[in-house]
Parts: sequence; C-alpha cells; structure tokens
Amino acid sequence: MSERCAVVGVGQTHHVKVRDDVSLAGLLREASIRALEDAELDWKDIDSVVIGTAPDSFEGVMMPELYLADALGASGKPIMRVHTAGSVGGSTAIVASHLIQSGVRERVLTVAFEKQSEGDTTWGLSGGRSGGVGAGGYFAPHIRAYIARSKAPEYVGWMVAVKDRLNALKNPYAHLRVEDISLEMVRDSPMVWEPVRRLESCPASDGACAMVLTNEKGGDAASKPPAWVHGTAMRSELGQFPGRDPVNPKGGQDCAADVYAQAGITNPREEIDAVECYVPFSWYEPMWMENLGFADLGKGWTLTEDGVTALDGDLPVNASGGVLSSNPIGASGMLRFAEAALQVRGLAGEHQVEDVRTALGHAYGGASQFFAMWILRAAKP
Amino acid sequence: MSEQGDVIKFMPQVISLDYIVRTAPVNAEFGRNMQAGRVTGHKCPQCARVYVPPKGFCPICVVETSKADEVPVTDRGVVTSWTVLTPIQYHGQNEREDYALASILLDGASGTIGQQRLLDVPLPEIRMGMRVEAVWAPEDKRNEDDGRGWGFGSAITGFKPTGEPDAGPEIYEEHQL
Amino acid sequence: MRDVAIVSFAQAPSLAAVDKTETQMLYPVITSAIERSGLGRKDIGFTCSGSADYLAGAPFAFVSNLEATGAWPPISESHVEMDGAFALYEAWVRLQHGDVDVALVFSSGVSSRGNLREILCLQNDPYYLMPLWADHVSLAALQARALLDAGLAKESDLSEVAARARRNGQANPNAQVSGDVTADELLSEPYLVAPLRPSDCPPVSDGAAAVILVAGERARDVCERPAWIRGIDHRVDPHYPGVRDLSTSASAALAAANAGVADAPIEVAELAAAFSHEELILRDALGLGDDVDVNPSGGALVANPMMVSGLIRIGEAFRQINEKGKQRTLGHATSGPCLQQNLVCVLEADS
Repeated sequence: MSERCAVVGVGQTHHVKVRDDVSLAGLLREASIRALEDAELDWKDIDSVVIGTAPDSFEGVMMPELYLADALGASGKPIMRVHTAGSVGGSTAIVASHLIQSGVRERVLTVAFEKQSEGDTTWGLSGGRSGGVGAGGYFAPHIRAYIARSKAPEYVGWMVAVKDRLNALKNPYAHLRVEDISLEMVRDSPMVWEPVRRLESCPASDGACAMVLTNEKGGDAASKPPAWVHGTAMRSELGQFPGRDPVNPKGGQDCAADVYAQAGITNPREEIDAVECYVPFSWYEPMWMENLGFADLGKGWTLTEDGVTALDGDLPVNASGGVLSSNPIGASGMLRFAEAALQVRGLAGEHQVEDVRTALGHAYGGASQFFAMWILRAAKP
Repeated sequence: MSEQGDVIKFMPQVISLDYIVRTAPVNAEFGRNMQAGRVTGHKCPQCARVYVPPKGFCPICVVETSKADEVPVTDRGVVTSWTVLTPIQYHGQNEREDYALASILLDGASGTIGQQRLLDVPLPEIRMGMRVEAVWAPEDKRNEDDGRGWGFGSAITGFKPTGEPDAGPEIYEEHQL
Repeated sequence: MRDVAIVSFAQAPSLAAVDKTETQMLYPVITSAIERSGLGRKDIGFTCSGSADYLAGAPFAFVSNLEATGAWPPISESHVEMDGAFALYEAWVRLQHGDVDVALVFSSGVSSRGNLREILCLQNDPYYLMPLWADHVSLAALQARALLDAGLAKESDLSEVAARARRNGQANPNAQVSGDVTADELLSEPYLVAPLRPSDCPPVSDGAAAVILVAGERARDVCERPAWIRGIDHRVDPHYPGVRDLSTSASAALAAANAGVADAPIEVAELAAAFSHEELILRDALGLGDDVDVNPSGGALVANPMMVSGLIRIGEAFRQINEKGKQRTLGHATSGPCLQQNLVCVLEADS
C-alpha cells in the first residue's frame, strides 16, 4: 500500500573531539555532500530536508533548521527538525522515510549532527545547574542492576569495549582509535560513574551523518546497490513510574517486535546478519541483546563472551565501532541507521561484515524511553 | 587578542538567560509540607499508586490528583540502586569530590525518588537494600521553592544509613531506577 | 493520498503567565481533544508533538510532556522542536502509510518564563547574526519598514489590522488582548520599535493545544462535520534577512500554491501573523482577496503562545467548518525571523 523506500546515499564526517575548521553549517554540508556524491545526485535533486539534533542548548542555537536552511540547499523546500532526545538520529531517518513511503516526497536529504565543541554538553545536560550527573551517571545504576540480575562476570563490559575499539580501527570515520587496546587497559582505566570505567564510555564528538532516501524508481535507477527499508518503528514510554523496568524497557521490546513483524522476521538471532545498536556504555550491548530478542533474559552477556557479536562472529554488533567510538550525540542514532545501510549495500569497506542481507539499525534516548529502529535489506520488500 | 598572522578559531560567547518558573500549586503544596518536615505524596484514586513528589495526575491512569489525594509518606526507605560520581567540571558545577547518588524507595511510596545524596557512609559500603533515613536541613535552611520538582530540593540534604538489617531483593528488585 | 480530517480540537486559555507546569497545562487539553473526538486513547496509532526547550528553560523539556498522553503501555510517538502545526504535518504524512488511522497532535509553550526578545535571538545564525542580539521584534520592524518603503502599505494599514484583531478578540475567550478600539486610537501610540507600535506586536502568552486526526471514512463515523485536509505544504526562505525581499514572503506563496489555496474560494483564513504587517504580507502571498474573513479569532495578535500559535490557527480554521458551517478554510503557521518558514493547511467540509 505504501511506496518503497531506498537508501541510496550515505555520508558522514570524520568524528573528532573538536572540528575547529568548519562552522556548524560546514559540518552538515560535509556529511551532506558525501551523501549526495554517494547517491550520484545534486542539491537540486533533493525535494525536502529533515534534520535532527539533540537539545538546542548543546550548541546554543535555538531551532537550528532556520539557520541551516541555506547551507542545506533548503530555500524553497520544506525543512523539518526532529527532536526525540538521544534516539533523534534514528527517528529523524524514520521521519524522512515516512515522506518517501507516503508518496509525498521523492528524494529526501536527512542529516543529524552535534558540534559538541561549540557548547558544553555536561552543562547542557544539567540544565545549567550544579550536580548534573551526565548521561553516564544516570545509566550507571541501571547497569549495576543488570549485572546483579544476570550475574554476568565483570569482564564482559571490558570485552565489549575492546571489540568496539578494535572495530573502530577499521572505520576511517571513527573518533576514538586506541591502537593497543586490551582488556587490561579497559580494566585499569579510571572509574567514572561506578561501575562504568572511562574506556567503557563513549567520547564527546563533533560530527554529522547524512543519508539520501528515495522511492522505488530512484532506488532502481541508482548505480550503486541501495538499502531497502523493510520496516521502521518508534516507541516512547514514560521515563519514570512505580515499577518501571529501565533495564529491559517495554518500549524497546515493543519497538523491536513491531519492526520485526513488518520485516517478516520471527527469529532475529538467525535472520539478522548485522546489528548497529546504540551502545554508549559497554554494558548496553548485553542489555540490548536481550531487549531486542537476540538472547534470553539474563543471557545477553553470553553472546559477547562467546564472540558471537565480534566482527568475525555469527552476529556482528557495531562493526563500525559504535557509539563507544564516536558520539556526536544528535548524529549517533543516524550513524547506526546509516552503518546498517552501508552493511547491506556492501559499502562498509574494512569493517564490512561478510554476506549481509538483513541489518538492524537501533537508537535509544532519554531515560531509556525513546526507541527508533529500522530493518534494511539488500533485496526489495 | 591574537598576534598578527594568527588565525582566530574560536570566539567565546557566554550567553546568560534568566528564567522565572512559577511553582505549580501541587509542587508548592509539596514544598510547604517539606518545609514543615513532612514528606507527602498523591495516591491515584484509580490504581492506588503513591507518587512522591506528586505530579497532580497519575501518568498511568491519566487521571488528575489533588490535595484530596494527599497521603503522608515516611522519610525512611531502602536504597534500590546507586552510582558513585566523579564530578565533571563545567560552568556552574560546584561539586569537586566523588560522591554517591542513590535511588531511594521510601516506605509508603510506590516508586523511587532518584539522585539522592548518600551521607555518612563510606562509598564501598553502599549496597542495594540498605535501609536509610532522611537527613533534614535545619528549618531556616529549607527553601520551599527549591528544586522545582527535582526531588526534595533543599529540605532534605541527603540520606544516611539507619543501621537496620538490609531489605531483601523482593523489596528492591522491582525498583531499580 | 489518503484523505485525513481533523475531528476535534482543544486549547488551553492563553495566559500571560501560567502557574502550572507545561505538562499540567497539556493534560486537560489532550484529554479534552480525545473526549471530543469520540475515540479512546487506545485508538490512537501515532502521536506527534511540538515544543521548544529554550522557552521552557530546560533541555529535554518535552520528555515530561509525555506524561500527559498516557504513554503506558508504550506508544508510537515522535516530536519536533517546532510549532505544533509542523507536528500536525508529520502526523498527516504518517497517516498516509495506511497502517494506522488515528493520530494525536499537541503542542505547548511557556513564553512567560524568560525574556522572549532575548531568547529568540538564539534562533539566528550563531556566528554572524546572534552576536548582534537582533531580537525578533527589531527584525519584524525591519520587515515592516521594508513593506512601508515599498509603498505596499501605510502605518494606518498596520493599525487597522491591529484594531480589527482586538475587536475580533472580544468574542474569543482564549484571547489575552482584546478591546473595542479604532485604528486611529492605536495609531496615536508611540512606537515600540519604529515603525511598530505596541499594538502591532503580539502579547507574550503561555498556552497549549491538541488536535485529533482521523484518516478515511472513520472520520465521518466519529465526527458530524470533520474538516478534511485538502492540501498541506510548508516551505522555508533563506535565513538571512538581508538576502531576501522582506516586503514579500516567497515561502508562504510557494506553500500556498502547493497546498492548492487558489483551487477554490477560501471563506476564512487564520494566519499566524504575530505582527500586524505580517498579516498584510501573508494576505498578498496567499492570494487572499478582500472577501476572505481573516483571523475572526483575533489571530496571533490577541494571543501568541509560541510553538502553539500555528496549531491554534489550524484548530480555529477547523472550528469554522465544524462549528460555524463554513465550507473551505485555511490555517497558517510560521517560524523564524521575518516569516522565514511558512506552513499552509487548506481544510474543506464534506460537500
């Protein structure tokens, strides 16, 4: 009943702590131009723009779509700005896909970004007040709860960190590159928000990610293989209420169930070939493996321990190095979605997983309460 | 200032915006009770969940609550989860030393209140299930407008161990926010 | 395209300063819109909202607004940091997919907490414009000056718009400003920022609104006189006031053309013109003749809760069809300095 949607262009910037060579607009244009070049399209071919970023106070620019309209070639076109907290990069891509699937638009440029060096993110997260806990301080108790519930050995967190940091070395765009990363190095890194250690945490990055989405006609005409959208879903749940389980949130379970049903997936562990999921602190890998139905409750950590989620494993997770390696907050969700697209298109270069026919892109945000996911395949729906 | 020939790459621009937030009646009532040394909550007339601090409605039943639904809650409870923070220094940050923040399930409340300071306990001794009681600020140091709905504001400076036996997992397992 | 209709609308009275939290303000508005729709919360397949952190003075301010929707069990939901009219657009697009029939749209804004003339400076280019602290009233004054200098209007035309808005506001219980005034009385006021007088500028308002959209036949099942979204489109102009002709609004004209405004006569147009000169520019850009009744509610000049004004205009255009028997109306929303971005929504009754 709806139009098919294809990802035909992906672009991103080299994520680093400080981009002192480009303005905010310049950062977005860099990613956008790469996406357009990848799609073999030009600015004039784009009929609408959808951008996404985390709270305005991170850069001190209110409603940045107004300032960025010119730089993104949006004059005379529609532009929108999505904001769903940390999942925003993912939900932005989904909103863009809605424009295609509805038949309302034909070629959408979607960009997500954060230029954290131009603000003070911890200040931003604290609402300007003293005693702000930051994201790590907020999630640390949930991680402690998972470890207690699952009785997972403490080295699982270190293993995820080592895996993602090794993967990052194969991703030219990744921010944190720790050449001699090892379990001992992670174990010995300072505790930041107990039980989370520094090397188990994401960096703060300047970065942008862009994609060009088009319809079936555009996907067929693309000279490079497109990634076809087989399902998209978003879920939001109350962040705090008596009896809430933030460790295995229902919103995440429901979102996954919805997107799997759309894509005809009944056994995600077998039917999905690569996963890009939002892991900002290493223990979120085992937690999301359970939430997404790849492992039974309390067993997610065994996938890590058994090497299933490694680049050469049976279900590689975050071949790109993930959020642990690059975290321009507003862009991170879209990076997961875009990396999933690169995997099914066979364009992930050195961090390409072999033979990916189906990939999952996942993003979450807020108090583990906002979820955005999509399933992409090399084959058309 | 830069010497001739240097490229200026960053221009510091510190913007200060002032906001006045009017305390909502529900929150003001809570603040007054805290001022008087009483912790109160609202009990949903439909599902009986007790919310501390009260919101003026039950977000699960989507039903309004009012002063008629006010119930007393104790100032003692259980640590359900915690973290130890190494404070990041940012503009406005006053914390310098490591400190612990915990989620506390007060006796009588249905859900936890988060990010409460733990006092008078060595960091390595903190554990789930630890029984704690509120440390109240001296009356003249309590500001009923403080906090704006972020936990208890300035009336309670933190929670300290009571020395009672720990509560078992059946108490805290469902509340690990 | 699937036919989508507005079946209900609710708004909070616009106040100079509300003593509720944004969530508490939204709660009865959302409940009311749902009740008026004849549907239940369980029927809602998609929710989309609009708001702005910088108005609330806190990051992630929209997150607590979720509590006003009954987001348990988890719901399919999205949010834009824009006027609720753009959230309505996203919901309209979502409903085209065919898998869900009902959407809830809402938005809220508490402009009274801070100094709007300072806060909105942050909407400008952070490198070149923001450091000038060119506030939105001053930029609006520049646009008014451009209009006057182009010979397209006189100051008395501005006061005429302002006077009519206030007179219309008398019949609107949600108006913050109203009165039986004449243009001459307003014309004698001293300037606030020349050539704008205080009456040419909007009040600072806190407010909230919600709308229920239903796709297909179901709209007729639940609503006696639904307002069908016949055309909806939005466009943006370049950001820098210096690179455009401020005496016109190219993006508004483009949005109107794409929404099919000219396809048939418009009886009532609710325009989110927060400044009197903006109404004149928009009338021209949308091609609205003298026979069109503009802003019978008083428009944004009598109540201007930012992030809600546009959604309220569409809601009032819906009421003209649903309550006042009109056949074809229009709601408009805008964003950014000097009408930079514009959305036009054309509504029609069943014939």
